[in-house]
Amino acid sequence: MSLSDATRQTEPRAGSLRLVELFVDNIVWAILAITLLAFCLFIPGYGQTGIFLNIVEQSAFVGILSVGLSIAIISGQIDLSIESTMALAAMATAVLVSSSAAGFGWTPQPLWLVVPGSLLVALCVGLAVGSFNAFLVIRLKLNAFIATLGSYILFRGAVVALSGGKTVFGLPSPLRAVALSKVLGVPLLAWVTVAVFLAFTFILTKTPFGRYVYLVGGNPVAPFRAGIRVRSVSAAAFLLSAVLAAFAGWLLATRTSGATPNLGIGMLFEAFAAVVIGGVSLKGGEGKLSGVVAGVLLLSSIRTAVNLLMLQPHYTQMIQGGLVIAAMLLDSAKHSIRSRYL
Amino acid sequence: MSSTETEPKHGGDLLQLENVTMRYGAIAALQDVSLGVAAGEVVALLGDNGAGKSTAIKIISGSVKPTSGRLVFEGIPREFESPRASKELGIEIVYQDLSICMNVDVVANFFMGRELVKRVLGVPVLREREMQRITEKVMADGGTKVKSVRQNAEHLSGGQRQAIELNRFVYWGGKLVVLDEPFAALGIEQVRRGLENIRRVRDQGLAVIIVTHNLHHAFQIADRLVVFRQGRLVLDKSTSDCTHETVSQAITGDGPPVQIQ
Ligand SMILES: Nc1ncnc2c1ncn2[C@@H]1O[C@H](COP(=O)(O)OP(=O)(O)OP(=O)(O)O)[C@@H](O)[C@H]1O
Ligand SMILES: [Mg+2]
Repeated sequence: MSLSDATRQTEPRAGSLRLVELFVDNIVWAILAITLLAFCLFIPGYGQTGIFLNIVEQSAFVGILSVGLSIAIISGQIDLSIESTMALAAMATAVLVSSSAAGFGWTPQPLWLVVPGSLLVALCVGLAVGSFNAFLVIRLKLNAFIATLGSYILFRGAVVALSGGKTVFGLPSPLRAVALSKVLGVPLLAWVTVAVFLAFTFILTKTPFGRYVYLVGGNPVAPFRAGIRVRSVSAAAFLLSAVLAAFAGWLLATRTSGATPNLGIGMLFEAFAAVVIGGVSLKGGEGKLSGVVAGVLLLSSIRTAVNLLMLQPHYTQMIQGGLVIAAMLLDSAKHSIRSRYL
Repeated sequence: MSSTETEPKHGGDLLQLENVTMRYGAIAALQDVSLGVAAGEVVALLGDNGAGKSTAIKIISGSVKPTSGRLVFEGIPREFESPRASKELGIEIVYQDLSICMNVDVVANFFMGRELVKRVLGVPVLREREMQRITEKVMADGGTKVKSVRQNAEHLSGGQRQAIELNRFVYWGGKLVVLDEPFAALGIEQVRRGLENIRRVRDQGLAVIIVTHNLHHAFQIADRLVVFRQGRLVLDKSTSDCTHETVSQAITGDGPPVQIQ
């Protein structure tokens, strides 16, 4: 390395390198723009505000899941349990407030209290699952992939157990309003998703905690020696990914006005795809939420296109699978471009 | 030879290990070692594989607690609970694999664990510009040239990464820096710069312990040479009183027994 480094230092091309780096980092936005443009040109009825709002709204659940998953992956971990956490939080919400047979039918006075009340319950579900994962991986030192795969199966089972295998539906109107209301003509769900992305972009890029997530994901030994509480940072990453998943679950329950035992199956894969497409490296320590946003929107716009063309939904699956593979190729291409030109 | 006869107070005034023994089960990694380091002094720690050098460093850093014996720093007996505790007193360990995160820039590495923040509505926010300014100044003062302190550490050379650590140590008011095999992975030119960096640190009145297998490096940089063999301290002399022969004999245990100063 010393030789190539020595020659590299003498080459004054920092400016053009910045450009290459900028392009490589934001390539997913270029892909999204080209895709959207192509869809607008070639798919009748695609180029409308309503469609775009729908894309953003549809992105809410996978989007929020992706934020949590990104934090887990950037911190050098992995959390496969988010989909089940989301479903469990949704089911807990539904069971708490639903007026149907399986529901507990909680009706506080005044009724709007069901909104903060059920949200609190959902977030507590997330905290519990996140603590469980953190305990397995950080305290018991289990491999994160296997441990959270176990959680994935375990908590999906818990969803079925909680609901007795039945659909729990019928939410009180204040909760329905969360999913249905619009602010300035834009669905509340879209606003909430944007807010979550902005908040966590801020946390990851501007706060010490965010810095630590990258340090721990890049090389946990160095921050440990620097006196940073590495295990706490990892634990916080698990808690955040689970709590965000639970929040997505709560939103999903308001949206579907209840929960089914198989609610949200497949969303883990979509979130995973979005994160990888968005440029988060599975090695840890690398990636930006701005890329992940583009990944989520890209997947969502493709799904919308498939719907508009009235293709079979399995085409969505095939395209998304192909995109994940393409994203992995892109990731390794990025690294070789980096090592060649930077 | 019996190393148990060394006087308890030994060498320098900044750090002393006094009759330190470290056992791992049946293995005695260190046996009754007494050793001192003064401010403004470079001590080279030599010894064969498994001689106990890294163990001594782990004790100094607070990564492990000695089975018996004590550590005195700045005249006060200390029991470090963790590396954090020794660090707070100004003891810094520069490990062979370096404590650098390749995926973040020079600034983030320089301020690792000591980030400057301001409070915005109670939320701690990184003061990036101020941190960049300080990093640029300290790196320049330390004689280290990097193209930009905003580039990731992966784009730097091994010597530049080492310089980040040393500059960081000096800036944060470090008093004793321990370098474990600092030149193992470096080329000739980089070693030269590394030695220069160490000299600069010493000339600022700070203490340096350097662990190395390379006698030439030790003779070039060290004021004092200390040799461990099988967990015992077998040589502790001013460099000018040593020859390559006496030192390598002390390391391998061949030849006539050597005296402790
Ligand atoms: N954590 C440990 N558990 C058990 N034995 C250990 C441990 N750490 C070190 N040892 C033993 O203590 C002895 C001294 O090891 P140490 O790492 O201090 O040697 P060293 O001088 O640094 O060697 P090297 O030049 O190879 O780095 C060795 O016999 C080693 O096997
Ligand atoms: Mg060693």
